[in-house]
Amino acid sequence: MIIGAKDVCKLLGIVIISACAVFVSTLFLNYNLDLNGIEAQIADESRALYDALVMTGSVVSAVSGGCLLMTSVVMLCFYIKHYIDSHRKELGILKAMGYSNIRIAAGFWVFGLSVFAGTLAGFSGAYLIMPAFYSVQNESGLLPDFSAEFHPRLLILLVIAPTAAFALLSVIYSFFRMKTPVLDLLKGKPDSKSRDVAAKDNMPFLKELKKITLRGRRSLVFFIAFASFCYSAMVQMSFGMGDLASEMMSAMTFMIGVVLAFTTLFIAVTTVVRSNAGSVSIMKIFGYSGRECSSAILSGYRPAAAAGFVIGTLYQYLLLKIAVEVIFKDIENVPVFEFNVQALIIAAVSFAVVYEAVMLCYSRRIGKISVKEIMMEAE
Amino acid sequence: MIRAENIRKSYGTRDNRCEILKGISIDIEDGGFTVILGASGSGKSTLLNVLSGLERPDSGSIFYDGENIAELSDDSLTAFRRKNIGFIFQQYYLLPNLNVDRNVKMGAELAGNKDYADIINALGLSEKRRKLPRELSGGEQQRVSAARALAKKPSVLFLDEPTGALDEETGRSVLDYICRLRDELKFTVIMVTHNANIADMAKTVIKMNSGKIVGQYRNQTQKTAYEIGW
Ligand SMILES: Nc1ncnc2c1ncn2[C@@H]1O[C@H](COP(=O)(O)OP(=O)(O)OP(=O)(O)O)[C@@H](O)[C@H]1O
Ligand SMILES: [Mg+2]
Repeated sequence: MIIGAKDVCKLLGIVIISACAVFVSTLFLNYNLDLNGIEAQIADESRALYDALVMTGSVVSAVSGGCLLMTSVVMLCFYIKHYIDSHRKELGILKAMGYSNIRIAAGFWVFGLSVFAGTLAGFSGAYLIMPAFYSVQNESGLLPDFSAEFHPRLLILLVIAPTAAFALLSVIYSFFRMKTPVLDLLKGKPDSKSRDVAAKDNMPFLKELKKITLRGRRSLVFFIAFASFCYSAMVQMSFGMGDLASEMMSAMTFMIGVVLAFTTLFIAVTTVVRSNAGSVSIMKIFGYSGRECSSAILSGYRPAAAAGFVIGTLYQYLLLKIAVEVIFKDIENVPVFEFNVQALIIAAVSFAVVYEAVMLCYSRRIGKISVKEIMMEAE
Repeated sequence: MIRAENIRKSYGTRDNRCEILKGISIDIEDGGFTVILGASGSGKSTLLNVLSGLERPDSGSIFYDGENIAELSDDSLTAFRRKNIGFIFQQYYLLPNLNVDRNVKMGAELAGNKDYADIINALGLSEKRRKLPRELSGGEQQRVSAARALAKKPSVLFLDEPTGALDEETGRSVLDYICRLRDELKFTVIMVTHNANIADMAKTVIKMNSGKIVGQYRNQTQKTAYEIGW
């Protein structure tokens, strides 16, 4: 089939995110299962700690695993849509020659392999770090010693089932996408969104272009907001975690936040640049400078990033507040939880710096797009 | 005055190198109408790209009023095109997400031209102003491409098969409109075509074959778009 190994490699984002999701979930679920095994040996005075640990485990794996899973689903659909958009000619020709939709869609199962690679990596990674994790969890020494066991059902739940589900999802989603009539595939589907946005004669062309570029790519606006949401929430949360839970949890949250945010940001911006390369090259032919092109194409995403950041801040604050008041309410000397202004400032400044640096890098890349790009594309 | 001296251009990697332009020298006078004729694959489009500063030659010089654009940096070359050059491409190259109006505006704004609607109407596109390129026929796209180039008010207009996708009647009217604008605005026209009849409209005709100039002549009288054969 036409989907090559190279296309699957482009799914690196999904590999990374599913690896993170499974890594966290494996650690905590495995810990909970092992903890369950020694429930009988728990002394009454450690009961509250035991309950809190079980609860934390479930919440953490549900929240982070669930969020990350959702992200992977959205991202996978996005990739497939993008793949079909950028290969619509080939796919249209296949359809015109009489290949059935389901026959073409069936080939898309290979996208599921990215999930396999990611979940397997996350799963193995979790087992590597497990001994250290177990001893940190029981730093207080209140629980009896126990070591990590291997639970085959976790392998099925966290690796095999997601792989199968994602492969199936790829086929089903692409099947629906392939229902587009042949001619629309060959010529490009009229996109009602970008049509006829009331043309204001007095609005400068570059401003209009910026508006239309944003409007035509709402999913990317979402991704950029999501990236800044992840960064904001996870990094600020990691400051709180250091006091509330353990250094290790804090470091893990921090890492996941950073990885998730930058993977998403990177994918979104790469897509923006790649899908506009042709237009940029035409504009350069006519004499628009690289700077004009890149500001029209990249500068519109700042408000989305800012909004994501604010939501992330509120989200982490509420989440930790609830955690402290509900989960740890029976445990003594849990530190008082307050909004951490210092963390907010650090997160905001570091994100702004990285965001602008990434955008600067990419506007350089737009600057380097050659006027011949469009001519190569047409051939 | 545009003067090209001994332009060479090759494509491909070292083992598989192929010389497309094999030492081309031409002079093109300001405000003139020059047609370049030649078989498919003879290097006409490549020559146009090099002359217009879209591509650098491997060697040779291209002087615009004494300034060698082959030596300009990328940024200066872009600024040069912005100020001087208009294109109508063989493959149109419209911005796919923008409607006809905005595609033309893209060119018009570079020249501070606010009256581009006249050009759209003159090219018979007034009904299509809100359509996206993919909703247009090939010939309509070609006319949008022409409107965009003309709205830019260039001092040199490069045309690569500007009537390739047009029927006789529309083709004649587009050529006629370009000529009328040229009389008014006095820009230089350099046109590539397969259609030897169109050469009768030109002042200077250059014939190319396999990357070389094989002939050049001047027409005593220039026919109009409605007088030439088709
Ligand atoms: N980017 C490129 N890489 C390699 N070869 C190229 C490239 N562009 C053009 N060529 C080759 O250069 C030769 C001349 O191409 P060009 O487009 O200039 O021809 P042309 O005279 O305009 O033909 P036509 O009338 O069909 O448009 C062709 O043989 C083509 O294969
Ligand atoms: Mg050509």
